Amino acid sequence: MRIVVADCTVQYEGRLNAFLPPATRLVMVKADGCVAVHADGGAYKPLNWMNAPNDFIEEEGRWIVINPKGERLTITFNEIHFETAMEMGDDPGLQKDGVEADLQKLLADSPGEIEEGLELIRREYPTPVGPVDLLCRGIDGATVAVEIKRRGEIDGVEQLTRYLEFLSRDARLGEVRGIFAAQQVKPQARTLAEDRGIGWIEVDYDRLRGIESTRLTLF
Amino acid sequence: MRIRAERDDLADVLARAARAVGTRSPQQILQGLLCDVRGNRLEVTGTDSDVTIRTTLEVEVLEAGRTVVPAKLAAEAVRKLPVGAVTLSAEEGEVEITGNGPRFRLREFVVNDFPDIPDTIEAPLVEVDGEAFVAALAQVGVAASGDDARPTLTGILFEAHDDGLRLVATDSYRLALRDLPGIAAGETSLVPYRALREIGRTIADAKLGVQLDDRQAAFSSARGRMTARVIEATFPNYRQLLPDEYPNRLSVSKAALLDAVGRAALVAEEHIPVRLSLSESGVELSVTRQEVGEETEHIEAAYSGEEMTIAFNTRYLTDGVGAVAGDEVVLETIDPLKPGMLSGGSDGFQYLLMPVRL
Repeated sequence: MRIVVADCTVQYEGRLNAFLPPATRLVMVKADGCVAVHADGGAYKPLNWMNAPNDFIEEEGRWIVINPKGERLTITFNEIHFETAMEMGDDPGLQKDGVEADLQKLLADSPGEIEEGLELIRREYPTPVGPVDLLCRGIDGATVAVEIKRRGEIDGVEQLTRYLEFLSRDARLGEVRGIFAAQQVKPQARTLAEDRGIGWIEVDYDRLRGIESTRLTLF
Repeated sequence: MRIRAERDDLADVLARAARAVGTRSPQQILQGLLCDVRGNRLEVTGTDSDVTIRTTLEVEVLEAGRTVVPAKLAAEAVRKLPVGAVTLSAEEGEVEITGNGPRFRLREFVVNDFPDIPDTIEAPLVEVDGEAFVAALAQVGVAASGDDARPTLTGILFEAHDDGLRLVATDSYRLALRDLPGIAAGETSLVPYRALREIGRTIADAKLGVQLDDRQAAFSSARGRMTARVIEATFPNYRQLLPDEYPNRLSVSKAALLDAVGRAALVAEEHIPVRLSLSESGVELSVTRQEVGEETEHIEAAYSGEEMTIAFNTRYLTDGVGAVAGDEVVLETIDPLKPGMLSGGSDGFQYLLMPVRL
């Protein structure tokens, strides 16, 4: 992790053009190549960022970050106040809440509940951007990455998209596709998943646990 | 294009057509209203490509022509003008809306980009009583699903039954059905309820024309016309869900039951059902939420059959009881795990409701 606090300007050129005028900001370059520019406020969202993989060009007083889509982030430093770098090692990841962890275990035991004929290869399969919940083999021979959430929202689809991007670079895995599984998948998440060719499924937690649902249906 | 009309009349035709316009359409042109001036009439069309609403108004025509105006903005602009005559004109990429002082100049959408909406349906037109038809749609529509992931369940089925039309909707937890005798049904169609519920707010009139074919449904009146793309899917075989007979029958005041369920709903949550204990003395409602408390009450009612306790989702029960016409509601049951049937007078409405397991 490299951390710089500096007076800088930031120019983004890509889907649109955006410019951050001169000000003091925190710039982070993470081990995986992600770059984020933060203001002194807000809990999580950077002012500007570039997800890995990126080409990182370091020039005198200027960093240029270019992603595979050709989007470009140019950070021009006027004055650097603080700079440090450190090795942070592997992150143990977010501790999932009980339901989500339990869902993962139940679906790992019964991957056929996600898709007929699905067989588990491994739980928590590592990728450079974090472990994917389940890696499975589909009946069609494809490698299937499954991301499991309690509430299926757009963030989860984005997360699975990142895993798929990295998994598809591993020739040993062959064809890779993804399935987003959650107790409830929000309409926006469904739309995004379908748009990206990712399957989605709503799973019944109670039924997986062998508890008969109190919500009876007509058919 | 240039017309003059009374503010309220113009605001009305714009606002009604704008109800078909989606707020988040990816195509900018679908956020517009096509205003077509011919003869002495203004025809306003709004669409989201699945549902189209067309309204018409007799106006003073100063110059015929067509324009596409931003739907919500134009409708609101006209509505907020001072009362009196309003002039709407379009020229060189701008739409001008003026009346008694204020003047809006809005960017005009590209007229030629507005989609060509097919308006003719090769199906016989059936004329129905508009008010009764809209009421029947509202009765049945309570059971239609709002979940777009299961599009089949978001529509109302139109089909022939005996000598009339049957409307059916289900979201898999409940099923509502209404028979309308004497209305020729035409083609069996599954029409999105999202479109049908707009009829009452947009084009409903004393007389309503209904046309159905295998692709479109059209509803027309003197106030305008709505077309909707039908849902191309197979509706569940609902007939097999309707029991032949029920051994238990409760007849209770609709107002008393609605009020009681409303009180129970204060304590209940979505997943906590209201229990109905049925006996000769009537019905006792009770609801218990561990962390909040409980509510119980007794309603006198006529009951025949075995004593039993059955539980229902409070919202689904309220929807069904509320949709029943008349002062009395009949609840027929088989056992606590089989669907119960709510009905009322002799209006041909039935509401099948799955209980909640206790």
